[in-house]
Amino acid sequence: MKTRDYVFFVILLALAAAFPFMGVPRYIIASTLLLFCYATVVSQWNLVFGIAGIFSLAQLAIFAFGAYSTALMGRYLDWSLWPTFPIAGAAGVIFSIFIGLACLRMRGIYVALLTLAISQTMFVLIQTDSDCSELNKAINPSTCVAFTGGPQGLGDFGTFGWREVLGGRNWMMGDYYSMLGLLIVALVFTAAMTQSRIGLAFKALRDNEELATSRGVSVFKYQLIVFAASAFLTAMAGAFYAAHFGSVGTNLVSFPLLLFLISMLVVGGIGRNWGPLLGAGLLMVADEFFKEFSDLRNIGLGLVVLLFMIFLPEGVAGAIESVCKRLQRLALVQHIERRLTAALRRDSAAPD
Amino acid sequence: MDSGEHVPLLACRNVFKYFGALAAVNDFELDVYAGDVVGIGGPNGAGKTTFLDVISGINPATSGEIELEGRDISKVRPDLICHRGMARTFQLNAGFDSLTIRENVLIGSAFGLGDHGIPAVTFSRAVHERVDRALELCRLADRAQTVARDVPVLERKLLMLASAVATDPKLLLIDEPVGGLNPHEVDDVMEIVLGLAAEGMTIILIEHVMRFLLQVSSRIVIMHHGEKIYEGDTQGLLSDRRVVEVYLGEGTADRLQHMLEERAAADG
Repeated sequence: MKTRDYVFFVILLALAAAFPFMGVPRYIIASTLLLFCYATVVSQWNLVFGIAGIFSLAQLAIFAFGAYSTALMGRYLDWSLWPTFPIAGAAGVIFSIFIGLACLRMRGIYVALLTLAISQTMFVLIQTDSDCSELNKAINPSTCVAFTGGPQGLGDFGTFGWREVLGGRNWMMGDYYSMLGLLIVALVFTAAMTQSRIGLAFKALRDNEELATSRGVSVFKYQLIVFAASAFLTAMAGAFYAAHFGSVGTNLVSFPLLLFLISMLVVGGIGRNWGPLLGAGLLMVADEFFKEFSDLRNIGLGLVVLLFMIFLPEGVAGAIESVCKRLQRLALVQHIERRLTAALRRDSAAPD
Repeated sequence: MDSGEHVPLLACRNVFKYFGALAAVNDFELDVYAGDVVGIGGPNGAGKTTFLDVISGINPATSGEIELEGRDISKVRPDLICHRGMARTFQLNAGFDSLTIRENVLIGSAFGLGDHGIPAVTFSRAVHERVDRALELCRLADRAQTVARDVPVLERKLLMLASAVATDPKLLLIDEPVGGLNPHEVDDVMEIVLGLAAEGMTIILIEHVMRFLLQVSSRIVIMHHGEKIYEGDTQGLLSDRRVVEVYLGEGTADRLQHMLEERAAADG
C-alpha cells in the first residue's frame, strides 16, 4: 500500500458518505448499498482466491450461510437482528473452517469443484425443504412454512430496524450507512491482512507451495486461517443482506449470483487491492444494461469473464497499474533525455 | 574425524526410495557431522535430488532411518523439518515470484525457525536482522527491492540460497547451485558457499560442475543408480576406477587432476 492508495481510499470514502445527499434517486441508493454488500463479499473472496491462491468458490455458500443464520435466529428466536450479526459471522467461520478442512488435500480446480458442490448441495437442501415446520406452526398455525422457507424463501424475521429510528422516508439511509460501514471494515481488514505476517504466508503458499513448506510455512495452518479469516465478514455481509431485504431465498446460493460475483473478482483484478471495489462497481453499472436481456444476462457475464481472462487477466486494477508504471517509465526516459541534451548543449557551447 | 564420540548432525541408514519398482535411492547411508561440506555428484538420474527430497521431507523415504541431531525425521512434514534446522534450495530456480527479494528472504526468516501459537501479525526485529544478514551473505543486499520474477538466473539462485540461510539452518542442502551459470558466476557462488561454510553452516550440495564440487567440498559422495559408489576425499575420487568409468571419464579426470595440481602449486 502506498500513500496514493490511502489518499484514494479517503476520497472514495468521502464520496460514498456524501453520495445519498447528492440528490440521487432512491433506487440508485438501493443499488449502491447492494454494491457495498457484494464488494464486501468479493474483498473477502479476494483474500482466499487472490492473496492465498486457493481456487475456492465457497464464498457464496458462506454468504448465504450468514444470511440464513440471521434469518433463522430472527424468526425463531424472535431476536432483534443486531445481536445475530456477529453470531452469523461466527457461524460462517465455523462453516468455512470445515470447508477448508475438506479442501486441504486438494489443489487448484479440484478445490473449485468441491466448493461448488457444497454451494449446490446447500441450494438443493433448501430448495427441497418442504415439510411444514413445527416452529412455524407455533408462530402461525394456519400456514405451512418449511424450517428454511424452502423454495419460497423465508421472511418475517425483522430488518435492521432503521425504519423505527429514522422513519419511513429515511430508513434506507440507515441501511446504506450500515452496509458502507461493513465494507469499510472489510477493506481495512483485507488490506491489513495482506500486509501482515499472516498475509505473507498466504502469498508464499500461493506463489510456490513446495518452497513455502520448505521454508517452514504450514499449509494446514494457513489454509485454515485464510478460510476462517475470510468467512466472518462474508457471513456478516450475508446477514446484512438479509436484514436489508427482510427476506432470504435460494437465489443467494444460485449459480447466477456466483457468476456475478466471480465476474466482479475477475474484472476488478484477482489479488489486487482495488480489484474487488472496482469490479463490484463496474459490474453493478454494467448489470443495469444487462437487465433488459434477462435470459442473456448470464451468457453476457460469462463472455465478460472469458474476455477478461484472455485479454486482461490482471483485471482493470492490474491494467491501470501497468499503465501508471509505463507512464512513470516514459516520464523518467524523457527526464533523462532532457538532462542529456542539456548537458550536450553545454559541452558544445563551452569554449575549447 | 573422531566420529565415534559425536552424534552426527545427519545420519541416514538403509534409506530406500521406490518409485514403483525403481529404487531411486537404494540402501543409502550417509553421516554428516557439524562443519562438513559434503558434495554429492553422479550422472543424471542417479537419485541425487531424490535423496535431498527424501531427507527434507518433500518426498518421504519408502523405508530407512533419517536422524537429525539424533531425532528421527523420516516421517516429519517439510515445514517442521525446516523448523528443526534443515533448509534446502531447489534445482529449478524456485522463488516467490510476485514478491520482492527481501520479502522472499523474509518468509524464510519469519517462518523457518518455528511458527507456533497464535499467528502473529508483525515481524520482530530479530526476524529483520536475519534477513539483512542473509542478504549480505548472499550478496543480494542492493537488489532487495527487486521483484523476484524480474531477476536473472544468478540472482535467482542466490535468492533461494538467501531464503534458506535466513532460516538459520544447522544443515543447508543446496541443489545444483551453479547449473547454467558462466565460469565467472560459478566463482562468485563458490565464494558465497565457502563463506556460508565459514559461518559454521554444515552443507550438503549437489553439483555437476566438478570444478565447483571438488573445490568446495570437504568430502565427496558419488551416486549411481541410487547407490553410493564412492565416499571420500578429492584425491581418492580422481583415482577411483568406478567413478572414472561411470561418471567422469578419463579426460575429465585428467583435467581435474591437472587443475588440482595447479591450485596446489599456486597455494605454495
